[in-house]
Amino acid sequence: MVYPKDHRHITDDLMSGKFILASHETFASLKENADFYTDFFKQSFNYELIIKSDYAYLLSKETNENFSRDVCIFIAVLSYELDRDGKNFMDALEFSEFTVEEVDRYFENTSFIDLIESNKQLRDAEGRRHLINAMTRRHIAHKNFEDRFTFTPAYKMFIDFAKELALKRMGGELQPVMN
Amino acid sequence: MIKAEPRTILSFLHTYFEVVHDLFAIQSEDGIIRKEMLNRVCERHGSFIQAKLRDYRVVRSVGEDFEMRDAYFKMMEFLLLEFKPLLPETIEKYMMSISELFLKIRRSIAQQSDRDILQERVKNLNQQIREFVDMVEKNTWRLLNETRDLKSNIERIEYRDKVHKASFWIEYYILPLNKILDVNHSDSIAQKLIEISEFANRGRLDFAEETVRSEFEKLYVQLLQTNGDLLRQSKILTNELLPLLERIRTESLILTGWIEFLRNPYKAAIPPMLKTQRGLVYAKDMLYKVREFFQQFEHPENVYLEEDNAPFDKWIFDRELYKSKLNAVLPVPDFFNWCVKELGSSFPEIETEKFFAMTGLIFDEEFSIEYNPEGARAGIRTTTSQLTVPLLRIEASEKIK
Repeated sequence: MVYPKDHRHITDDLMSGKFILASHETFASLKENADFYTDFFKQSFNYELIIKSDYAYLLSKETNENFSRDVCIFIAVLSYELDRDGKNFMDALEFSEFTVEEVDRYFENTSFIDLIESNKQLRDAEGRRHLINAMTRRHIAHKNFEDRFTFTPAYKMFIDFAKELALKRMGGELQPVMN
Repeated sequence: MIKAEPRTILSFLHTYFEVVHDLFAIQSEDGIIRKEMLNRVCERHGSFIQAKLRDYRVVRSVGEDFEMRDAYFKMMEFLLLEFKPLLPETIEKYMMSISELFLKIRRSIAQQSDRDILQERVKNLNQQIREFVDMVEKNTWRLLNETRDLKSNIERIEYRDKVHKASFWIEYYILPLNKILDVNHSDSIAQKLIEISEFANRGRLDFAEETVRSEFEKLYVQLLQTNGDLLRQSKILTNELLPLLERIRTESLILTGWIEFLRNPYKAAIPPMLKTQRGLVYAKDMLYKVREFFQQFEHPENVYLEEDNAPFDKWIFDRELYKSKLNAVLPVPDFFNWCVKELGSSFPEIETEKFFAMTGLIFDEEFSIEYNPEGARAGIRTTTSQLTVPLLRIEASEKIK
């Protein structure tokens, strides 16, 4: 059997929870062989492959809850603070480069400080650096230098989540509660 | 007087939390619990609830209606983080009490009046400051929630209505609160607290009485914390609440989602992400695990180990037999040679062990030994050794009568 180009690279990345981005060389092969990979991951591991226009990722039935929640809080607070600062937060997430000092400043002065202080990953500068590094490993962020990063298109998955949540609340639907 | 144990009351609140929650919501909304509303809430859980609520003094009657007692109302506010916004005029009353107490403390010291009342006043001042900060924090929290609601605009109200609401909050709540907290304003409570803090600092170091010094110390520590907290509240006012009109100008569905999410992110659903497995698809020690797995199905032929029960030919030296034989042939000119001949007649080979057992006869007191004067020696071969032994003549020893 002949496997698609970059098969090993694609499976390694997806299986380790990384996003494959449109800018990655492997993305074209993944997209061309979307049916094969969808079936491959479903049959082999019961994972669902999600391919969007500019990123792809795997979903398992069990979810990495803590990491996902931490990233959501991180992006939510950052968006809120950017907006409060008079900036267009969507433009900033899409195009801006952030310094970790700038992020620290936003998090230390946010009115969500009680929430931040109750979260181990976000409560101090070191924890936030770990989270940024974890996001970088998963290709949600990209580190341009040791103290500078940008978001990759994978951040849109979290933005879509926020949008859906708002629509649910507006529609008067009860939000499903975990636990 | 409450007859029930405090633990019983807490247990009741735990069991019927929904009832208390509903009553709290009604009172927050209407300021009072109408009799019909109380009946409606209680009938869902049984008629005895109403009696218990009164016995445990959770509610009290006001005319025909009821209200939740202040202690329980405040506890519910605290537990649910649902504080009623207070008009800053309500908070300003602390300015009066704090200033009054501070003035009296200074007078007491100047006039050297009673130490006990001075101590009590310092304690009371401390208490008033704590209540004041608590009140400010609750109010800021509530204002933040109200303004976030405006920003989130989940009910999609018109921009004009939003501006109207925002203007209301700013005019009656935010600006007056800012005035109270503004340290640059000479009449603000924050400014007064800084003045008290300096005074308390001198008091804790200079005052003659140790007990009063200790009270000033507590007041000073409390004020250090308070001033930090107020600065934080003031920052929220300046950064987030005062520019409210500017902030509600823009609206975003995504930001609405985030604000809703941040209300309680630990109870909200989250976007699912792959939970990675630890290690590789193929474990590093797979070879050994597979080998171990298959080995359990292997049935090697049984090997039985039998104990070797073959009789062991153990020779036991019969001393008496050989002694009588030796006695019969006495005198013997060469004892070792006799031993060899004797053993040779019974066994095909002479073992060293048997030979040495036989030679033990010479130590018997019945025999006397005579050495060869020339020291002559003879060679004897056993199965394992070649021995060189002296020539010994054996005779019967003389018996002592």
